[in-house]
Amino acid sequence: MSIGTLALELLLMPLVAFVVGLAMVLMLRRIGARIQRRVGPPLLQPLYDVVKLYGKQTQISHGIVHDIGIVMAVGGYIAAETLLPVPGMDGIAAKGGLITLVYVLMVPMLGLALGVGQCANPNGSIGISRALTAMLAYDIPFVIVVFGISWHYGTTDLTRIIALQQAAGPAGWGAAEMPLLAIAGLIALHASLGKQPFEIYVAPAEIATGPMVEMGGKYLGGLFVMQCFQLYTASVLYTTLFLGGGENWILFLLKIFAVVAIPMTLAYLFPRYRTEDLVRLLWKWPVLIGLVGLALVMR
Amino acid sequence: MKELDVRIETPEQRPRSNPLARVFDELVRFCRSRSMFMLHYCTGCGAIELPPAMTSRFDMERLGIQPMVTPRQADILLITGYVSIKTLKRVILTYEQMSAPKYVIGICSCTVNGGMYWQSYATAKRLDQYLPVDLYIAGCMPRPEAVITGMRELMAKIRDGRADSWQDYYRRYDWYLGNQQHLFGDDWQTPTDVIGEAEHYRLTGPETLGEHTALLQQHQKPLEPLKLQL
Repeated sequence: MSIGTLALELLLMPLVAFVVGLAMVLMLRRIGARIQRRVGPPLLQPLYDVVKLYGKQTQISHGIVHDIGIVMAVGGYIAAETLLPVPGMDGIAAKGGLITLVYVLMVPMLGLALGVGQCANPNGSIGISRALTAMLAYDIPFVIVVFGISWHYGTTDLTRIIALQQAAGPAGWGAAEMPLLAIAGLIALHASLGKQPFEIYVAPAEIATGPMVEMGGKYLGGLFVMQCFQLYTASVLYTTLFLGGGENWILFLLKIFAVVAIPMTLAYLFPRYRTEDLVRLLWKWPVLIGLVGLALVMR
Repeated sequence: MKELDVRIETPEQRPRSNPLARVFDELVRFCRSRSMFMLHYCTGCGAIELPPAMTSRFDMERLGIQPMVTPRQADILLITGYVSIKTLKRVILTYEQMSAPKYVIGICSCTVNGGMYWQSYATAKRLDQYLPVDLYIAGCMPRPEAVITGMRELMAKIRDGRADSWQDYYRRYDWYLGNQQHLFGDDWQTPTDVIGEAEHYRLTGPETLGEHTALLQQHQKPLEPLKLQL
């Protein structure tokens, strides 16, 4: 691959991720609206929100770490997009691999924690401590799933994992061969998105959206962009590991939208867990299912 | 303000050389009008008309209006009913923390002229003496249809660039501060340095400084960060 093609891919992959992520945010809001028997926001609503937030005329910063935190939060995901293979574009996925990706996925939350720290708002501090606790909770099943996948395919190279699954057809997809790990992965993915019922660290009525409490204007805009990337990254990673990646763009988009839509449709029906219940739930069920799945894989 | 290390950024006010500047302005104004985050600081009975306006019957999210919980994130401050003097202090603190462009909507007749609290000694009669109000929605209380009609009017104002009363707060700060001091006493002070902001954004007018701001600057104490205690 020439340098030019690689540069183009590295530029295109985050851009595609942003556009698809905007559509996913819209889908989430529409799902929420339909469940509440509302019409929901118009087609370009997520874009209006982002443009409006960046177009604010006064931007209130709390210092240099506040600025850098947001850059880390968005930049961590942009780095993650270049490690995620999509149909026709591999970027640096073959060189990075699954372990690097898991590592990079922690950067945004840590960046957010740094940024919120400088805001010195007690609600923000409570929120970010809850968010990091939740991260500890869902990362355990996630790591088990990642370990099981790499053991099963004998590689941490995402392009190789996709190629192996596509060669075997739908019966050879990760979800068919390792159903227990797929279930554990889905629960961990859902928790990592920070949506109902795992949105204790946002809790608008209680701690005033936690980490976002002091964010206005372009800072909140950065977090909106981060959310787009987050939804895209989580769904593409799940599709890559369990649903055979994308044969072409149509199937790929269908799969990643379904991966987000299914847990979210269930999500809006439940109230949220408290932090300790969340940790208990995530360390009990997905970890248990994941460990059994891992035992079956390593048998 | 130095102790808190809060600084405020603004694009440099240089002549617009970009040929597409007007197009961008138009786009941003359109997006502003179609995406309004409202902080409903629920002061009075009018707040009860907002849940129906937001939920399935009338669904404000169709218009891009959604509730937000902190002033930093919000664009619109809804004052939904009478403001007692104690409440008004909080409303002003909240308003000054919002990032511009920000809009104030007074709902219910109490914000227009005091309404049924006209004879109350503890209620602010006219909201627009203390804050720049973009829009009033009169009624006791206005129904959700009226609220949404009012919102649509605000959207039209934002799209045409007429909703700039937030600048008025900077330009005529002395007058607003004078009314606030009349109500709260001469030692009234908010955490936000409005005069500093006005100078920073070059929004100072002939009435930004005056006798009332001079009074403020006499006793103004710099803010200190809150002490963390367990």
